[in-house]
Amino acid sequence: MTMPEVADIEQLPVSQARAGEPAAWDTLFRRYQLPLYVYVFELVRNEQAGLDIVQETFIAAVKYLGSLREDAKFGSWLFGIAHQKCIQRWRKRREVLLEEIPESPDEFEDGPDDLLIRREQEIEFMNLLNQLPLPQRSVLLLHFIEDFPLEEIARITEAQLGTVKSRLHYAKKSLRKLLEAKNENAA
Amino acid sequence: MKTPREILLARHQAAAPKLDAIRQSTVAAVCDRRPAKLRRSQTTATTIFQTIWLELVLPCRRIWTGLAAVWLLIFIVNISQHDASKVVATKSTTMGMMTTFRDEQKMLNELLATRSFAADAEQPRIYLPKPRTEKFETIAV
Repeated sequence: MTMPEVADIEQLPVSQARAGEPAAWDTLFRRYQLPLYVYVFELVRNEQAGLDIVQETFIAAVKYLGSLREDAKFGSWLFGIAHQKCIQRWRKRREVLLEEIPESPDEFEDGPDDLLIRREQEIEFMNLLNQLPLPQRSVLLLHFIEDFPLEEIARITEAQLGTVKSRLHYAKKSLRKLLEAKNENAA
Repeated sequence: MKTPREILLARHQAAAPKLDAIRQSTVAAVCDRRPAKLRRSQTTATTIFQTIWLELVLPCRRIWTGLAAVWLLIFIVNISQHDASKVVATKSTTMGMMTTFRDEQKMLNELLATRSFAADAEQPRIYLPKPRTEKFETIAV
């Protein structure tokens, strides 16, 4: 299986899916199934729960596609549904989101690929990612996996734009710091 | 060197077959559904209802229940008061009707009494036109 590209959203057959074409749904789900699963799994840390949430998200997408206003926002809309499902799961299990960093940085200009990781650092990267508080991890995953704009991340996570900027800034900062520290130790 | 995206996706590649199965079952469910137009109209109506239910009612269901209870109480109080006032009003209207009836009867008697005087009064003359031939005869004479 090839790794899904961050495709041009205009190419996705959302309008055909609205018309109920199964082939269009297949294309859409094929495009998002793995990124969505990665996002959900890294939040809930449970394979079966991750698969269940992906399935629930797909079913909800088929059911509520009529509520999607802009076809171009299909990806973020789908991730938004999955995010809500994760929150519902946390609420059921009475898990509390840890937080919070009050201040927002003045500017944010990093891309998702500015952080390059060496092969031997991969496991450390994953461990460090899992050490981040859930809200920071969520924002960072959305940034890494789909390179969503900050506005869309804010919409998915139902947070303020400033809060998203702040979370992303501090998450990347702490991740970079940890990786650098590991590098220095290794050297 | 790899990007975080590449690492994350590669790490979960093992889940791909399960995800394929999920996708296929969901797409099969799409195929089994009814014609698109019918589905869309129904989905929209259901979506609106469910959105209202999920976003407006469910998050503050205790408040809504409280408000409903208050309204129910107001309704019950209103109905009970309405019934009481109706009985009083019915009594008062019966009395009023009797008085009005008596007044009207009195007035009718007075009118009938004055009618005999009116009959004695001079009747207005009724003008009956004569035939034209009779008019000529009187001139000739």
